[in-house]
Amino acid sequence: MLLLDYQNVLIQSLLTERFSGAPPVSIDQVVSDFDGVTFHLSTLETKSKILISIAVKCFKELLQYGAQDVLEREYGPYITTPEAGYDFSLIIDLQQLPEDAEAREDLVRRVSLLKRNAMAAPFERAFDDFAQRQEEAAKYTSESAPEGVAEGGEVMAIHYRDEEAIYIKASHDRVTVIFSTIFREETDRIFGKVFLQEFVDARRRAIQNAPQVLFRNEPPLELQGVRGLSKSTNGEIGYVTFGTVKNVASQY
Amino acid sequence: MANQTPAVVMDNGTGFSKLGFAGNDSPSFVFPTAIATKGGVGGAGGSGSGRPAVANKPSFLTGGAGGSNLSAKRGTEDLDFFIGDEALTAATGPGYGIHYPVRHGQVENWDHMERFWSNSIFKYLRVEPEDHYFLLTEPPLNPPENRENTAEIMFESFNCAGLYIAVQAVLALAASWTSSKVSDRSLTGIVVDSGDGVTHVIPVAEGYVIGSSIKSIPIAGRDITYFVQSLLRDRGEPDSSLKTAERVKEEYCYVCPDMVKEFAKFDKEPNRFLKHTVTQPNGKTSTVDVGYERFLAPEIFFNPEIWSSDFLTPLPTVVDGVIQQSPIDVRRGLYKNIVLSGGSTLYRDFGRRLQRDIKHMVDDRIRASEARSGGARSGGLEVQVISHKRQRHGPWFGGSLLGQTPEFRSYCHTKAEYDEIGPSIVRRFALLGGPGST
Amino acid sequence: MPAYHSIFLNDQDVRVLGNFALLPLRTRTRGPAYTLPPLPSGTSELDIDGNDESYDPLDEILSLFRANTFFRNFEIKGPADRLLIYGILFVSECLGKVKATMGRKEAEKALLNTALDQFAIPGDASFPLNQAFEAPRDRQDAETLRQYLSQVRQELAMRLLARIYADGPMPSKASQF
Repeated sequence: MLLLDYQNVLIQSLLTERFSGAPPVSIDQVVSDFDGVTFHLSTLETKSKILISIAVKCFKELLQYGAQDVLEREYGPYITTPEAGYDFSLIIDLQQLPEDAEAREDLVRRVSLLKRNAMAAPFERAFDDFAQRQEEAAKYTSESAPEGVAEGGEVMAIHYRDEEAIYIKASHDRVTVIFSTIFREETDRIFGKVFLQEFVDARRRAIQNAPQVLFRNEPPLELQGVRGLSKSTNGEIGYVTFGTVKNVASQY
Repeated sequence: MANQTPAVVMDNGTGFSKLGFAGNDSPSFVFPTAIATKGGVGGAGGSGSGRPAVANKPSFLTGGAGGSNLSAKRGTEDLDFFIGDEALTAATGPGYGIHYPVRHGQVENWDHMERFWSNSIFKYLRVEPEDHYFLLTEPPLNPPENRENTAEIMFESFNCAGLYIAVQAVLALAASWTSSKVSDRSLTGIVVDSGDGVTHVIPVAEGYVIGSSIKSIPIAGRDITYFVQSLLRDRGEPDSSLKTAERVKEEYCYVCPDMVKEFAKFDKEPNRFLKHTVTQPNGKTSTVDVGYERFLAPEIFFNPEIWSSDFLTPLPTVVDGVIQQSPIDVRRGLYKNIVLSGGSTLYRDFGRRLQRDIKHMVDDRIRASEARSGGARSGGLEVQVISHKRQRHGPWFGGSLLGQTPEFRSYCHTKAEYDEIGPSIVRRFALLGGPGST
Repeated sequence: MPAYHSIFLNDQDVRVLGNFALLPLRTRTRGPAYTLPPLPSGTSELDIDGNDESYDPLDEILSLFRANTFFRNFEIKGPADRLLIYGILFVSECLGKVKATMGRKEAEKALLNTALDQFAIPGDASFPLNQAFEAPRDRQDAETLRQYLSQVRQELAMRLLARIYADGPMPSKASQF
């Protein structure tokens, strides 16, 4: 079954091998991941120091939404100045690895999740935002709420690819995540529609606590006023809206 | 468009698949070209392997709880499969049957191959095919229909950005450019490609394979392993499993200049006898003596008679014969550029022995013709066997080398071209890195 | 590359019986063979070179034995090759007799018995390689051949023993062919 893992398998296997005490060899590998992410693993001056760099298209946006904090929290001591052409770099000295095997494994796991962690910042911020707003909203009844609270926070946009983006918005009762999708071809569009409709129907049919999903071709209300939205000319652009309510949010 | 996603290079061999990105010095993944599917699917998927489908076990036997029942109802068995090492592991358990979609270098089961590719691309390489160009390999003499099938899958199922299908032998030649012995980057040469199952000798002239003179030898890595095993068995070593034989082969074997002299050397220097310690899964260790098989095993390339009773032509003779069958104007180039590729050519001094033996043959022939012509002198002929560091994954590395060149993309067939012309587009291809390409 | 041939193929003035070469031997066993000078003291059998005047076909048999037993086909190029084949055949017969658990004395006895046993010569009905070997012309030649072969067998058995038990009282594993 095509169950995709969160981590990058190559980084994982490579580091596991290196950490196991195998004789140091020089590495110089460019690896790519989904969403146009590129990794570069290399050994610089000595074979025992591995430099891991990541290039993400939307890194600037991610920084804006607090990616640096998240990354610093995850990788603190390993962070180094980014390699030229890349956005973020880690350096691992094989001679100064954690002693016990579990800590090493943990390090491997964390490094292989580099991409996920980089992308996680806006989500984390949204959920924090959501918690705050919820508290705030609890003070008012729905009628008397001041404008700002009901409206929700700013929309965070991550243009992770040229034409597709993720929008995240927190409001007092949910966090809304919107994926813009693009299907160029007629057949693809139908496949996409059927597939995404499955998401929409899931809540109705089988799984009661599935997040609420909407799929439509026009930008949803949440995105009103966001600049740079591509106009859908013949229905090739779609928007998938996930409204994550509290109980789902707490699972993150 | 300079800083784009690296091209994906996939070399699906009979035994192992090599996957990775262009520009890297070694493949990111090397695993068996194997796919494990749920029993019944192999037959239903139109498998050409001809093996009877394994009886479909009721789902409660395969260990699935409610989940597998559900998936069975929805008909998602075709998504339930593993590839590579995971496939081998899964096949030992219940319910899965293992399949090898590539036989003798050619894809035999397209349904399995498609799924194998999909898993390689999404799970292992983690790329979105529409963002990447792909460089695939094919064996020499691959029928054009196979290329079309490949293109169909790559463009229609995966919607990849661009595709280039290269011949393995040509890529192996390109890989040899890294060797210091190679001064001009020509695509003329003879490739001695010895993998696990079969050894090919393939002449290539300016990037085109001379199909009529390809020779294959039914002796390769697996035979060497069997030979080592039989030697160990004959001597009554405590452990003579295939695995031990393989370890011995990989760790200790080398090519000697002369069998008899090597025997004498062993007699005089007992320290040439080695001990190999095997640790069995249950923690027991046993020690195996490693003796003459160190040089006898690779010797079967040069003296096939000692192993096989039906194939008796030594490798140097085959190479010489292939060159003699090639057009006369490329022979000189072929002798000058004999490139090794594949795991079974990694033995120490393999290249030297091959070069020496071929050189002897060539010199004898020149001397004979000099004698016949009565006084004419020949300028001699250069014989050079090139062995280099990337030999093991030669074709893959050549692909990586070519895939990172800036002009690579212009040689690819793109999705748009495919849509316009159809699968037959891959019947023509521009030669990458060949003469005239800049 | 085919199997190894005898280097004595080109030797001239060799007495040939049937098509079997009676090459000079380095031996103390008495018989019709022309005797080569013994090895200078201090030289080991393993070290002598093919060009040495003491090098005899039996040295060759022992050194080529291991390589040639791997080959299934052998093209006989002359009388000297026949001696080589005969020797190799005899060596493998001897090795069949020696067990890994035998001490030197025991093995010596077994081998000498084998060497002195009644044996077939080319032309006899029980000789294994009669297609390749011609029978001697008359009874007198047959007798000479028998004596020569007996010489070969005894000398070969002795040298084989020396090799197998080079390192001590038990057969050394290294020299197990």
